[in-house]
Amino acid sequence: MAPTIRGLFGLAVAVMLVAGLAGPPHAGAAQTLNAYSIWPENWARPMFEEFERATGIKVNFVRFSSGEALARVIAEKNSPRVDVLFGGPVETFAAGIKEGIFEPYKPPTFAALPARFKHPDGQWVAIADDPLVFMSNNTFLKDNNLKPPSSWEDLLHPAYKNMLQMADARTSGTAVTGISSILEVHGRDETRAFEYMKKLRPNVQLYTKSGGGGTLPVGLGQAGAGIFFIVDALDTKAKGYDVSISFPKEGIGTAAEAIALLRGAKNPEPAKRLIDWATSPAMQSLFAKHKINFVPAHPEVPVEPSLAEVLKGTKIFPIDAEHAGANRKRIVERWVNEVLNPKP
Amino acid sequence: MRNLRALRDPALLSTVVVLWALLGLFVLYPLAALLGRIFWEDGQVTTAGLRAILTDPHQIQAVWNSLLLGALVGLAGTALGFLFAVTAARTNLPPPWATVLDAATLLPLVSPPFTAAIAMIFSFGPRGLVTWHLLGIKGYTVYGLGSTFFSETLTYFPLAYLTLKPILAAMDPNVEDMAFSLGSSRWRVFRTVTLPLTVPGLANSVLLLFAASLADFATPLILAGNSFPVLPTQAYLQITGLFDLRGGAVLSLVLLVPAFVVFLLQRFWVSRKYYVTITGKAGARSAIKSVAPWARVVLVGACLLVAAVVVYFYALLFYASIVVALGANHAWTLRHYQVIFTEGLKAIRDTLLIAGVGMPLGGLYGILLGYLVARQRFPGRQTMEVVSMINYALPGTIVGIAYLIAFNDPPIVLTGTAAVIVACYIFRYSPTGIRTTVALLSQIDPSLEEASRGLGAGTGTTFRRVTLPLILPAFFAGLGVVFIRSMTAISATIFLVSINWTLITVRILENMTELALGPAAAFSVLVVAIVFAVIAAISALLRQFRARGAVAVTSLLGG
Repeated sequence: MAPTIRGLFGLAVAVMLVAGLAGPPHAGAAQTLNAYSIWPENWARPMFEEFERATGIKVNFVRFSSGEALARVIAEKNSPRVDVLFGGPVETFAAGIKEGIFEPYKPPTFAALPARFKHPDGQWVAIADDPLVFMSNNTFLKDNNLKPPSSWEDLLHPAYKNMLQMADARTSGTAVTGISSILEVHGRDETRAFEYMKKLRPNVQLYTKSGGGGTLPVGLGQAGAGIFFIVDALDTKAKGYDVSISFPKEGIGTAAEAIALLRGAKNPEPAKRLIDWATSPAMQSLFAKHKINFVPAHPEVPVEPSLAEVLKGTKIFPIDAEHAGANRKRIVERWVNEVLNPKP
Repeated sequence: MRNLRALRDPALLSTVVVLWALLGLFVLYPLAALLGRIFWEDGQVTTAGLRAILTDPHQIQAVWNSLLLGALVGLAGTALGFLFAVTAARTNLPPPWATVLDAATLLPLVSPPFTAAIAMIFSFGPRGLVTWHLLGIKGYTVYGLGSTFFSETLTYFPLAYLTLKPILAAMDPNVEDMAFSLGSSRWRVFRTVTLPLTVPGLANSVLLLFAASLADFATPLILAGNSFPVLPTQAYLQITGLFDLRGGAVLSLVLLVPAFVVFLLQRFWVSRKYYVTITGKAGARSAIKSVAPWARVVLVGACLLVAAVVVYFYALLFYASIVVALGANHAWTLRHYQVIFTEGLKAIRDTLLIAGVGMPLGGLYGILLGYLVARQRFPGRQTMEVVSMINYALPGTIVGIAYLIAFNDPPIVLTGTAAVIVACYIFRYSPTGIRTTVALLSQIDPSLEEASRGLGAGTGTTFRRVTLPLILPAFFAGLGVVFIRSMTAISATIFLVSINWTLITVRILENMTELALGPAAAFSVLVVAIVFAVIAAISALLRQFRARGAVAVTSLLGG
């Protein structure tokens, strides 16, 4: 009898052990993935929470500016710490391609997206679109009897002398999109575009390192106006700062925001599900709910009405990614030499 | 041969070995890993990146600008620190006043990134509170050398104060008394006795501030504007803007050259001067009488003026934390504090844990290394001193990326842990403790230690029983700086935070990105409060430990 009891006891222990060992993978079926987000946390967090609600997959993430995120991913490329690079302007992703940090992946919506919202091989795919706007401080406008600028020429007005803040082309996607816009409205005639930028230079108080860097100074009235992405501008307004948003009649550019799978990702399957979800209407129709003022990249998702109202009647053109990409380095260098620090 | 004989002392030998192992792992290895990435491509050495950078006139301009800024900040900050140190240690200030001085010098050290610069722009911008509303100056340009210099001097002069105060405080008034009794005037005593005795400290302070300015990137990032590029921001832009790690690293390495030159100059200059004011023979301390009553009024007045500027900035910061949106909606609210104690709680916990672990380790490392290089003879002593300064002299961006490259792949995987952040802080911010220890020891007669050894005590016992009580102020200075920096620094650790570990400063940066000035200010106020509480606790502890018969350990940090 005793041996049997001992045997049963031993068996029970063995079963428990096996169950215990086998347990974790099952319990771990609540999958997780890791991401670097370039979108600020107040936008990334609600999106990832919605994703977890929809799929049961938890996203652990840290937020970095685009340059820092890319520098980290490159430094970690032999042993990636995260699976996905989420959000951020396409040009950041373009710079990453030649470092070989991405694993091409085409989500189901790939075919439905317009060409400018995807890399042909699926190195990155767009999740949103972000047009540029002029944002000006209302007190400044009133003091100088000005209307919100409605033309690129308006920014040359002497009242703006030393009162504009714009982004630095060496560090900011906002600035590069801005320069591409100026090139575009001058019919890609570089000589004329650079003439304009040189004329604008005395009005620029500061070129900020990040695209949103000038929003607070404009909000506080330390600067009169600047060129910003619409999400940053509408955020400034929502924070209570008295600013106007306007568009130049000649037109202004827009830049896509993207997502990409990292090469060597340790959780490729959940990561792909996040990409599937983010590039589809499932995520992009939630922008409005969380007051994220991006324009959806997916053609089937309607623009949120109040955002559509702001954009109504404006002339917004996509930046030719190929042209911008091919000439970026040369144009930024020319900008540094002729506009930022002109040689005496 | 004396060098080698020293190594037969087991306590000394093992300490040297351990310190070299740590320096190798946390200073040399990451640097080597970074250099490997820069100069090694497809199995061969390449210098293309180096040449491209060094022939660019903009970058050359940035080199000169950095040197100019560093020199100005080094001199002005040291002068300001000396002013405060003399006032605190040589004017018999009543304790409450001394506390006010200590508090005012602590504040700028506790300046979390970006928020102070925002306060600066809010006050001195084209529509600034001071420039426009108060003085009515139109179109004032806040960006450039002037405001960067002003802001850095205000930020770093406390390092000079921390370096100089223990030296002045430890100086036996009897030395000055002798000069007085020989008929010297106060000014002459100051000029020929007090000032020369402080020279090693002054030199150390200029070096520390020069290097700190050279490596500082947050201040010029916001305030230098476009006409005054400096190396650390150029390096940062090169890496995060142009995605050019190689170019950015080359620019950072250029920074090592001036830092190293100043270091050698200082060694050469100071090592010829040999001052001992603390000997075993000192009698009772007499009262300090080196400052005339009118001079005391002037000194205290000048300090209060500087303190008022500092306090103004923090008052503004505090105000920003209790209104809905500074500059737009000035209704009172406690919402920002509610936000940081709910969403920000993890960052607060992580930061405190990391700072709490790094603090004692950093203090210990600082005095051990300082003691070894100042007092012991062993092969590679000078090299050890130089190596210990490297992480301090490099811009944080580079240190962060070097750590990331070195500790992401085997053999040593540390990324994602708190250990890598702690190590980064210790090896980057302990040089204050090291320099203070060296400066303090150069005042103390080695015969005290020789006597101990002559009576049969080993190196370990001598250190513990004789030297340690004498250099305790340096220990607390080093530990204080490591703690404060752990609470406020960001440039290196932004690359080391992970999904598991985050920091308050990263939250502040994030809040600034989201235009949430309120929570950013609230976090900053919290950081200031925590640092003050911890420093007060240290001071109280220090008073408990004050050994009878030892030199009165005048606490640096508010004792």
